[in-house]
Amino acid sequence: MGASDLARLQFAATTGIHWLFVILTMGLIPLVAIMHTRAALTRDPGTRAVWERMTRFWGQLYLINYAVGIVTGLVMEFQFGLSWSGLSRFAGNVFGAPLALETLIAFFAESTFLGMWIFGWGRLPRALHVALIWLVGLTAYISAYWILIANGFMQNPVGYEMRGGEARLSDFWALATNPSALLALAHITLAALLTGGVFVAGISAWHFARRTADVRVFRNSLRLGLLFAAPAGWFVVTVGNLQWPLLGRTQPMKLAALEGAGTEGLQAMFTKQHGAGNYTPSHDWLRGSMDVMVNIANPLSIVLIVAFVLLWKDWLVRFRPVAYLMTALIPFPFIASVGGWVFRETGRWPWVVYGKLTVEEALSKVSSTSLAVSCAVFIALFVALAVTNWTLIARFARRGPDGAHLGAVEPLPEHLPQGAPGSGSQGREDKEAVPSF
Amino acid sequence: MTTLESVWLAVLGLLLAGYFVLGGYDYGVQMLHHRLGREESGRRAAISAMGPFFLGNEVWLVAFTGVLFGAFPHLEGSLLSGLYPLIVAILVGLVVGNTAVQLRGRARGERSRRVWDMLTVVGGGLPALCWGLVLGLLLHGVPRRADGTFHVGPAEVFAPFTLLCGVGAALLFAAHGAAFLALRSEGGLAERARAAALRLLGAFAVAGLLAVLLSVAGAGASVTNPVAAAAVTAVLALALAAAWRSLAAGRAGRAFAATCLAAALPVLLVGAGHYPYLLASSAGHGLTVSRSAADGATLKLLLAFGVVLIPLILLYQAWSWWMFRGRTGRRHPAYF
Repeated sequence: MGASDLARLQFAATTGIHWLFVILTMGLIPLVAIMHTRAALTRDPGTRAVWERMTRFWGQLYLINYAVGIVTGLVMEFQFGLSWSGLSRFAGNVFGAPLALETLIAFFAESTFLGMWIFGWGRLPRALHVALIWLVGLTAYISAYWILIANGFMQNPVGYEMRGGEARLSDFWALATNPSALLALAHITLAALLTGGVFVAGISAWHFARRTADVRVFRNSLRLGLLFAAPAGWFVVTVGNLQWPLLGRTQPMKLAALEGAGTEGLQAMFTKQHGAGNYTPSHDWLRGSMDVMVNIANPLSIVLIVAFVLLWKDWLVRFRPVAYLMTALIPFPFIASVGGWVFRETGRWPWVVYGKLTVEEALSKVSSTSLAVSCAVFIALFVALAVTNWTLIARFARRGPDGAHLGAVEPLPEHLPQGAPGSGSQGREDKEAVPSF
Repeated sequence: MTTLESVWLAVLGLLLAGYFVLGGYDYGVQMLHHRLGREESGRRAAISAMGPFFLGNEVWLVAFTGVLFGAFPHLEGSLLSGLYPLIVAILVGLVVGNTAVQLRGRARGERSRRVWDMLTVVGGGLPALCWGLVLGLLLHGVPRRADGTFHVGPAEVFAPFTLLCGVGAALLFAAHGAAFLALRSEGGLAERARAAALRLLGAFAVAGLLAVLLSVAGAGASVTNPVAAAAVTAVLALALAAAWRSLAAGRAGRAFAATCLAAALPVLLVGAGHYPYLLASSAGHGLTVSRSAADGATLKLLLAFGVVLIPLILLYQAWSWWMFRGRTGRRHPAYF
């Protein structure tokens, strides 16, 4: 593999694995915020306890996933400068602004407020504590917006003019309303809500299949999950299809290569404009990734509507095989969304900024050896992180609401040495949730 | 250099200095938590001391990188790719350390907790050491080629001055973390942290003195403004002395303020020492502020957001520090 292949692989692996955490973060946060709000607004102590247990249980799964998501995101931020310094030389004036704004507007607030939310149980006033989780959710979506503005510029460069061999920002409004970014934002938002909903519904159904005693917790969760997943599953397909005309206008080559027809004319056109070279992306990759996405999304959207109807009188979880089927659905939205990204990004080849800057031009002058080493290190690290993440999520999902550490007063008895003060009956008292939040 | 460029240079410096101060004590606590905590409850108390701030602290680095890309794209590309192996090492350390801090509380059993603890320590020490190496290289000047790119190899990284800077940064961040623990935890942990901070400050003073001697002898830092660099170094020495005295007198608040200043000053040292260059070559000259900054239109746009956002960020971060002020006791909400 040459330097450019290694750099592409490194970027694809970093983004792809990062995305698996991001989509669940974005999908779970509205659900956790709604649960927390319901708990805060309910007067009946029994009902409130149910919604609070839900908040702490799903909130903890969200946090395990967030922990891994944030560290892979850190690596993302450095990728551009590490291996693609040609991109900052050519388009830094335009492309850097949304990345800077993402951290200043959204990411700073998200991390600060999430820290306060985690440690605020029993410490902060209730209304403020609930407001914090909504702020965390809002800023997560604002982050997604700015990141897609940067990605949208690479797909469909707008709002700039060329001067002295560099792209310079000329129309911020055009950059900030790039249809390539906005449609993708709608598409991935729906995909995230679908993923989060299926995740919550699938784990709840598993607990029903295991005849859980926490019936109210998991019935509420199952309903809330499907309330999000069923409409999101339907509309994610619709919004996905809305992107075809835009692609026809901005990236006709991607469509031609997907169909495997009409590429010759476009190849000749690109050759005439930009000199000799291969401008046709791989048909196999495009076709394969598109098939993965479509063949999952279409059946899934129908299954979810049927499941939603079967919520009536808990029909969905009365028969174990059906309940386990819901659990088995959990991985599919993840796989479909990765297919979507592979389609979007490999179809841009050979361009980093479509029609303006090629992969080869953007590549840093870094030796292949350095790239090979860093590529191997990052991939190994990220696969280990993904395995850790999913092992921990599975473990704490199985334990149910009783196993939630979030919102408990430390130290938990299990963390104290045997026989130490506080490990006996006092320890059990320690483990109880803070009564007010 | 225009006013706009100086404003963004100041913001860039502020973000990096903020990261060194806030991320610095995180790394210090990570490096020391295992030793100072003695057993699991003490270790958890050490991690809990930084808990509410941990996520908010690391963001300063992300914001620094974001602004570096947005406002200084020409520096960004050349700096990060030039320092490739060091940046990769820093990132690996950050990934490992951040994950370990956030997930160690979810560990099951003694064995896996030991692994998470080890990763927590490595994840604090590796970035601290490598940031010191980066600062050392920047102070010494990097081997820039005619086209503006550069690469650091073992010859540059393993030079005595660079290594001293690396070890120095690890010691300084460890001392800073110990001062933080002396301020925020209670009981035996706070007392052990105070004693450790005194020892670490002494060790850092030795490393710093050696680095200064090397520079005077011509084998260390070669800066464009020796007077400014000497002044910053003198203030750093004063901050260390103040931290030492306050710790010896048991005034943890003052000592932490002094180590905060000491952690921020290396940024000023590089900035003021090389001005008007942002990236100095070992052979003199280098990449100036104006050459590395983004186009005026971009800077103006970012400024329109920045005048609102940056005070707002400082405000809500300060609010979160105020909310979680005070010492962490045995019964408090903890999660990490």
